[in-house]
Amino acid sequence: MTEMDILLTINGKPQNVKVEPVRTLLSVLREEAGLTGTKDGCSSGDCGACVVLLDGRVVNACMVLAPQADGARITTIEGLAVNGQLHPLQRAFAETWAFQCGFCTQGMLISCYALLLSNDNPSRKEILTAIAGNFCRCTGYQNVVKAVCQAAAEIRQRVNRKEAPHA
Amino acid sequence: MQEFAMNNPQYIAAESLGDALQIKQQEGEHTRVIAGGTDLILRMRDRVFSPGLLLDLRRVSLDTISCHAGEVRLGAYVTLSQILGDEQLAVLFPALLEACRQFAGPPIRNRATLGGNLANASPAADLAPPLMAYDASIVLASSVGERVLPLAEFFTGPGQTVIRANEILTQIRLPLMPPGTAARFIKLGQRRSMAISIINVSTRLTLAKQGTVYEARIVLGAAAPTPLRAVAAEAVLMGNELSEDRVEEAAIAASKEISPITDVRASRNYREKMAQVLVRRALLASRDELGRSGSND
Repeated sequence: MTEMDILLTINGKPQNVKVEPVRTLLSVLREEAGLTGTKDGCSSGDCGACVVLLDGRVVNACMVLAPQADGARITTIEGLAVNGQLHPLQRAFAETWAFQCGFCTQGMLISCYALLLSNDNPSRKEILTAIAGNFCRCTGYQNVVKAVCQAAAEIRQRVNRKEAPHA
Repeated sequence: MQEFAMNNPQYIAAESLGDALQIKQQEGEHTRVIAGGTDLILRMRDRVFSPGLLLDLRRVSLDTISCHAGEVRLGAYVTLSQILGDEQLAVLFPALLEACRQFAGPPIRNRATLGGNLANASPAADLAPPLMAYDASIVLASSVGERVLPLAEFFTGPGQTVIRANEILTQIRLPLMPPGTAARFIKLGQRRSMAISIINVSTRLTLAKQGTVYEARIVLGAAAPTPLRAVAAEAVLMGNELSEDRVEEAAIAASKEISPITDVRASRNYREKMAQVLVRRALLASRDELGRSGSND
């Protein structure tokens, strides 16, 4: 078995990992880094339960081989809260009941978080486009849209008051 | 977590195209190029492919979009998200952008590459029909040189292309379209995102000054063993005005030229019927667009 050394910066923390080339990023996050917030749904890039940020862009962690991510910055659901404070988006998800069973929730959150990084006032259509790769089989999409709108409004207010968007 | 039940390949992220081509020259027979990997990883897990070596091209600088005399050149490693973010491409090649917009969802579009979508040679590849409608050509490089050929001559069957063991698909070239051109892409899937095409159609019409059809391209995906140019349907339109009767005649011709299969997504019969509908819709939409923009300039 060939193994290779790769470096991942996961939620700001550099981490060296020894992997077989066919190991997926998802498997490394869950089993090596112990970050089990990222879920394994379909293992085929269809469902979005494993969505993480790779160098600031949403990807399916099940469809990235670990060596493809060598040197990359990864953000997982565990990286959204700061100093124990939930991100406004996480709070909005809880307050508007933007989930039912919760299995798709972390992927939804990461996709919506990525959207809000580049757009703090998204339209309904932009939100639906952002979560087009995230399946919720409880069919709870409406409250996700509500939650994103609520979080976006809070982030805009904070920016207007010259506060950090999230602390 | 399902691990890969397969042989463990070697993995090399080449530092330059020269290095990558050298590896291809020496180890080509058992090497697979990995770009985004969104299709390759699945096929490796399903044991369709068991490469001895994965050759990663992410450091090879094939991810640029540039304008040259009369053509736009897209590196094979350009992602679908990059294409969607390019304002110039949106104006020049709207049918290609439409195909990217309807492709999977954002996480896949951030990884999937133009070259990967073509080199996989899926009969249902969404980007092949619009690129063929725009007369795209491709560059196949090897350590002994490169050859440029029309994309229409690239595919030879499902998963099969003319690419040789020592070659890498490096670039896709799109000639600029003359004035009086309108192109469309229409995809029929089970839903609007994350769906493999049941059938897809891309058409491109370029009108002569007097309003007759000077060039016509009608290309269908998921309709034959390879993306298919419906040349008999195109011939129906050539030199003629775009009457509704002509358009219908071309749509019927296209539905007869294809040879779709029956599979889990749809029956052969349904695909043939929908080919006719989609070709008609695409051509009529282009006719309306050309009428509005005053094509007689």
